[in-house]
Amino acid sequence: MDTPSVYTHQLRKQYPKKHNHYKFSEFFQFNRSEGTISDWNGSRNILTSEDFIIGLLEGLEEEVGAASAAVMYSIGVEWGKQDSLFFDQWFEREYNTSPQQANLMFLLETWWWPFTAQGWGRWEIDMADRQQGFMFINLFDSAVARTLGDVGKPVCYLYAGLYAGFFTEMVRKQLSCIEIQCYSMGETYCKFLLGAKDRIDAAAFWLNEGATASDIEKRLRTDEAPL
Amino acid sequence: MLSQLQTLVREVDGRYATDAELLFLQTYLQTARLRFSAYQKIQKAEKKIVQQVKQKLVVSDPQLFRRGKVDLSAKWQRDTIRGLRFCAHALLVADEDGLEENFLLWFQAVMRSFKAQSSCNMTYKVMQDVVRQYLSPQEAELFCPILSQARLLLGQ
Repeated sequence: MDTPSVYTHQLRKQYPKKHNHYKFSEFFQFNRSEGTISDWNGSRNILTSEDFIIGLLEGLEEEVGAASAAVMYSIGVEWGKQDSLFFDQWFEREYNTSPQQANLMFLLETWWWPFTAQGWGRWEIDMADRQQGFMFINLFDSAVARTLGDVGKPVCYLYAGLYAGFFTEMVRKQLSCIEIQCYSMGETYCKFLLGAKDRIDAAAFWLNEGATASDIEKRLRTDEAPL
Repeated sequence: MLSQLQTLVREVDGRYATDAELLFLQTYLQTARLRFSAYQKIQKAEKKIVQQVKQKLVVSDPQLFRRGKVDLSAKWQRDTIRGLRFCAHALLVADEDGLEENFLLWFQAVMRSFKAQSSCNMTYKVMQDVVRQYLSPQEAELFCPILSQARLLLGQ
């Protein structure tokens, strides 16, 4: 988790154009006198245990009940929106070019690498259906799902919100995101669908009716409207 | 070796290291001279190695460096020099794990985003043949597995 830090990363100051800086000892800077951790891009980081993640989710559920999923999603959306603005700054500083001029896939991979280094998992983007207005994101090793284990339902609402917020800000168009397959449902990886709200609502309906990720993919590709 | 050294420092806390824990250092010292000489040879021949790889690739696939009307050979050359230098460094300090963590995993994502896996696969395959011309068989035996590791990760 990150917030802006007052600490300049000493290695970055020394090697401002070094791009492969995601090794643990290089990406993070331990500010021992202050007891803080900042990263290459100047974000403040905290280390958390799996107990913390469980406590956060269970505590929230105890407070707001079933609405906890929506709360986590909303937190993710705000985080994603803010991170998109933050990303614009550090991308331009590091690569001397604006995000708009960069290769799209390279841009997205560059956005996600700090998350990978922070332990949020690796991802894979499937943009084959971009022209149709939706895309899929596969997430390997979700910090949330890995912590909760097999609970028989999707749990990565924070990630879904993060993707919705980031891409909404990036393409300047309101987008929603839903997790249609989760490690916590016994699958090997998590899968998210990103698109316009009506499409995501349709997918949520299908999911609720017992459709699998592959059913949803098929239905979207045949442009089937929700019942 | 560097990654193993860091692990050793962490693990051996307030005691002496066992013989088994020191084995990697002995193995490194046995090959250190070969690693230094190979590193220096690669450094000296870098330009020639990259040019030869490029020529061989163009012969096998004239379209490899073209995407439509765009000529990608200058970009390929920059990426290949960068890759070769990282691999040579891994050879010098015997740190394949560090190479993966520090460079290959990140570079794999970059290469995938530009759909350059096929070009990487060919590049690091051909490079293994080319470097043999500049290294002794023992040196090549140390370096080629590192190039093979780069091929495996960047080529898929």
